[in-house]
Amino acid sequence: MKLLIALMLYTGLAFGLERNAKIFVTSQTDMVGSAIVRQLKNRGYDNLLISSPNELDLLDQKAVLQFFEATKPNYVFLTSAKDRQLGSTYGNKTSPAEALSYNLSVQLNVIDAAYRSKVKKLLFISSPSIYPRICSKTIKEDDYLTGPIEPTLEWSGLAKIAGIKLCQAYNLQYGTRFISCVPANFYGPNDDYQEQYYPDLLALIDIMDEAKKTSQPSITIPGTGRANQEFTHIEDVADACIFLMKKYEGNQPVNIGWGRGPSIKELAISLVYYMTIFPHVDYDTSRPDGSPSRVLDSTLINSLGWYPKHTIDTNLFPLIQSYLKQKESL
Amino acid sequence: MEQDAKIYVAGHRGMVGSAIMRKLQKEGYHNIITTTSTELDLRNQQDVLKFFQVQKPAYVFLAAAKVGGILANDTYPAEFIRDNLSIELNVIDAAYKSGVKKLLLLGSSCIYPRMCPQPMKEEHLLTGTLEPTNEWYALAKICGVKLCQAYNRQYGTRFISCMPTNLYGPGDNYHLQNSHVLPALIRKFDDAKNTGAQKVHVWGTGQVKREFLHVDDLADACLFLMDNYEGEAPINVGWGKDISISNLAKLVQEAIGFDGQITYDISKPDGTPQKLLDTTLINSLGWHPQITLQEGLRQTIESYRDQKETLRR
Repeated sequence: MKLLIALMLYTGLAFGLERNAKIFVTSQTDMVGSAIVRQLKNRGYDNLLISSPNELDLLDQKAVLQFFEATKPNYVFLTSAKDRQLGSTYGNKTSPAEALSYNLSVQLNVIDAAYRSKVKKLLFISSPSIYPRICSKTIKEDDYLTGPIEPTLEWSGLAKIAGIKLCQAYNLQYGTRFISCVPANFYGPNDDYQEQYYPDLLALIDIMDEAKKTSQPSITIPGTGRANQEFTHIEDVADACIFLMKKYEGNQPVNIGWGRGPSIKELAISLVYYMTIFPHVDYDTSRPDGSPSRVLDSTLINSLGWYPKHTIDTNLFPLIQSYLKQKESL
Repeated sequence: MEQDAKIYVAGHRGMVGSAIMRKLQKEGYHNIITTTSTELDLRNQQDVLKFFQVQKPAYVFLAAAKVGGILANDTYPAEFIRDNLSIELNVIDAAYKSGVKKLLLLGSSCIYPRMCPQPMKEEHLLTGTLEPTNEWYALAKICGVKLCQAYNRQYGTRFISCMPTNLYGPGDNYHLQNSHVLPALIRKFDDAKNTGAQKVHVWGTGQVKREFLHVDDLADACLFLMDNYEGEAPINVGWGKDISISNLAKLVQEAIGFDGQITYDISKPDGTPQKLLDTTLINSLGWHPQITLQEGLRQTIESYRDQKETLRR
């Protein structure tokens, strides 16, 4: 019996996302979209709909509807092709109109087309920018819209809120199964290492690297070293997305992440080890902590049975290598 | 706005749009274009862009929206959020691409949070939870306001938005189930007078306070803002003072000429205790409303009776 259940779970029979289901991932170039495609392929899903931006312009209402009606996907992962560009603080500052209207239009076009072409289930992938700037210590799913959002991310943040609300409104009126999730701050290979996605970490690596190059006997880290940051690996995000597509039916978005993160002090200890330097480390408590701590509460997804697997510690070495290499080349 | 400027009023058949039309015509603007929903579906991206590129309006009043009461918002949440978002996205983007000089988006005071401090200021936008009964409409309108701001910042457009308070006047909805408090009172008192009833039941305690603005005052403000406002913040348009529902009921009773009694049905919900817009900003620019509630009610009741008469025939 146990074997049978395990088999059903493995083949996806028990909870949908059947092995031969037609699955559309709206973008395959961004970190989340490409990780989802990679994992689906690894698990044997071979009926994936691939469309390049040249073939299908997601901003074109009519083209999106035609695409859905012609291809009739069963499941849709709605990711943003420009998350790292338009969703970043830089993107929000330099391209506010695009950050808002690109996301709004794509979401509107895809969600409406998914409803009209009778998609079985859709997962909208939102972002932590939906949450208020000042939040409880760990951010819960129902915290969004309870206060002003982070001003440096307000354009993409509002668009991502609208995406969640669109899903909810369609479910209420049409009985669709459009769910949404909020991946915590994530990292992964081939990233372009923007400061905001590696809060305090890149600055810390810089300090260590400098100390190593100049053989400094001691280094000083600003702040108490007690602030926590969450680092979720992109493969965990993709894994959770596929998990939610199978298992979750609620209207509230679901946070994806560790629900906790290492303190600056813990990160510093790991960095010292991986970068093979042994300076004396001081904390300058007269200076403020770096980025404000933002950790997403993961109680809901844990209660569904999902937990992340990739710790930042085990991924730190390749991350340092890749970041420093990219920095050198600039 | 120059007298011969090409002006597009989107949503000219609605209560606000038709008031803007009356005002524009009265002021001598003669190059106004309009479209009905069968001529141009504002939710259709391609058609809207084509329309703007062919017509090339210089000024746009964006008064088109899917509107409705609590019941409608509750029954058709997807339509409220989708239709309003599409209209805003399509019109604003087409206005930018076709080089519109200035655009005014009509919002609503319901975009402010449910527990907003009173009077509600422009900066209270997005500071708390929305009123759940119309959150779909409200969120779409917030996106509209923010779209205007974002386009201004990135592309240097001049897209402004205003937030009117509760409106009343010609073209209002007098439906028994989903009309707002003022038209509902007019209908109740008028019905009572015609049927010779002794009592009129008013919902709630009558103690909550609301603000009312005649739609012709709003239209006046819209033209004023088109000429005089360049700010990024949505600008409140209101009377500046509120009135309790019981005092409003007395005014309506008087204007209708109903001799019976007013009773309050306290089993019915009251809603938030107060809803008043802070109008310091628009007042400081030199605009003030003109139509008093007494005067406005008299006109509105007249137009209500005409409307009823036309329906009967």
